[in-house]
Amino acid sequence: MTRVTIPIGPQHPALKEPLSFLLTVEGEQIMESALRIGYVHRGLERIFQNRSYLQNVHVVERICGICSHIHTTAYCQAVEALLGLEIPPRALYLRTLLCELERIHSHLLWLGVLAEHIGFTTIFMYAWRDREIVLDIMEELSGGRVAHAVNVIGGVRIDLDQEHVHSILQRLDELERQVETFLGVVQHERTLQARTRGVGHLSAEQVRRYCVVGPVARASGVDVDLRRDAPYAAYASLDFQVITAEEGDVWARTMVRALESIESLHICRQLLQQLPEGPLTVRASRRVPPGEVVSRCEAPRGELVYYIRSDGSDRPARVKVRTPTLTTLITLPDQLRGVNTADVPTVLSGVDLCIACADR
Amino acid sequence: MNIDLILHVLQDAFPAETLEPQAMPINETFVALPPASIYLAAQILVERFGLRHLSTITGQDTGSEIELLYHFWDGRGLTLRTSLPREEPHIATLVNLIPGAAFYEREVSEMLHVTFDGHPDPRTLLLPDDWDGGAPLINE
Amino acid sequence: MLDLTDACHTLVRWARRKSPWALHFNTGGCNGCDIEILDLLTPRYDVERLGILKEASPRHADVLLCTGPVTRQSRDRLRRIYEQMPAPKWVVAVGSCSCSGGVFRDGYNVLGGIDQVLPVDIYVPGCPCRPEAIIEGLVRLLETIE
Repeated sequence: MTRVTIPIGPQHPALKEPLSFLLTVEGEQIMESALRIGYVHRGLERIFQNRSYLQNVHVVERICGICSHIHTTAYCQAVEALLGLEIPPRALYLRTLLCELERIHSHLLWLGVLAEHIGFTTIFMYAWRDREIVLDIMEELSGGRVAHAVNVIGGVRIDLDQEHVHSILQRLDELERQVETFLGVVQHERTLQARTRGVGHLSAEQVRRYCVVGPVARASGVDVDLRRDAPYAAYASLDFQVITAEEGDVWARTMVRALESIESLHICRQLLQQLPEGPLTVRASRRVPPGEVVSRCEAPRGELVYYIRSDGSDRPARVKVRTPTLTTLITLPDQLRGVNTADVPTVLSGVDLCIACADR
Repeated sequence: MNIDLILHVLQDAFPAETLEPQAMPINETFVALPPASIYLAAQILVERFGLRHLSTITGQDTGSEIELLYHFWDGRGLTLRTSLPREEPHIATLVNLIPGAAFYEREVSEMLHVTFDGHPDPRTLLLPDDWDGGAPLINE
Repeated sequence: MLDLTDACHTLVRWARRKSPWALHFNTGGCNGCDIEILDLLTPRYDVERLGILKEASPRHADVLLCTGPVTRQSRDRLRRIYEQMPAPKWVVAVGSCSCSGGVFRDGYNVLGGIDQVLPVDIYVPGCPCRPEAIIEGLVRLLETIE
């Protein structure tokens, strides 16, 4: 059989963001693939050097629209460490609340996109309808559905009263019932199982070799989660499970994300019910003394790393960002090898790509 | 991560180097080595200590040199710091030891014009095909 | 605050004569506007009842919904997609980045907003745009076509 090369992207119904592939196929099977990213490369690391630390909070939030809050969390945490600030507990709890609400919205978004690619439009519609509950809560808290501007250097700029806490808790209960339904579908629906089991397999050894992070790593049995292993924000005070699976395929990744969403709901409840009193910010000076910092957070897709070098001025000398999607992109040629072309959207969906994050 | 043991083993492996271990936020230790020693140091971390997770490689133009930071992590951070001369900076690739380093090296390469000797796929990662604007993170 | 009722009536009248099929292309954005565009198809906003269908191929599309600043890598692809669309065709720049480049406009790989490459018919500002604003932009577009 002759080999044919098929270009896919940057604009393609299977791709939610621009990236391109060259697939070498023999019949219906993929033999090799080459990836081309950079369509969304805006040159952020250079842009950061042209802005003050304060201005960069706004820019950092726009590296990625889906995980905007974790970016500002990792960034503000880094600058706060350079300034030697101790952030008040109430601020850390509220910061963490948005982190977990964001994780839920990101996983539901992803679940809908995966379902749509498999042809399961009903789940796409239900997941995105229920995701609106989370977006509403985030909008009530911050004024924004997608970009929230909750973090400031020194704490947070939002607050809530007991009545609001009560209202949010009720809606989180409702959302949990919905997510339990999705979980049921994932566990028992035969079409979804047939389309995702055994597809896009990665072994634990491949995960370690490629330094893969997040739900993809955990779905292959690699038990890593920064919230537990190196707690930041309020995580040291919270009680939660880290979800892992052994199968290492798209089905396992789906299970991990669905169960993680439920765990996030539990975390949100703890945060709301145990919210400490106190101030929301500490004063942060504009100029940052010379130093270096490495800040790590567990984004919805895994380990997010910020390195910042300060030189005593009000602008960073260097901001380096490594996003989790880079660690899963590198595994795509391995995952696609031997796969049928019809399963390409499923494999791509399984890793939950965020190209805006990867390209910066 | 038993950081003291790691520092001890690294010092034994590089008796002529001072290492200059520095505690850094957040829960990090930075260690300095010459470029020619980085591969061996990484090999010790991976093979002797099972420290396989390389979070990323940061490259930066400090003005006087091109500095590379290899950020390892295992419950806490260990960063290997090395300096390359501004003229034709090059260093051995880590890809055969840590395949996950491939993208990080490609990015440092295109942003700072560092050559990673032996890299199996040194194409640009993020910059466009027709890029003619030099190395974006070099300060002229 | 947009009065959706009036907008809907206008749109439905128009949609009876012509149903706009929209193609979405992200030329370099953060995804914030993209997920709000995708949200239009989901139950809360449900633009399909107004006749707006999300199309997969440029050859079947009337309206090109653009998000993101134009990066160098995206410029030629953007032009080619526009050329593949049959006339009559319209372009809507969704979000501050497609209007002007937004926060990224001084990026070394960023050319600016969509109008650096294509003629834009409607600009919908916002960072990101709310779904209501995108619907309003589409309604304005359809009114100008009538």
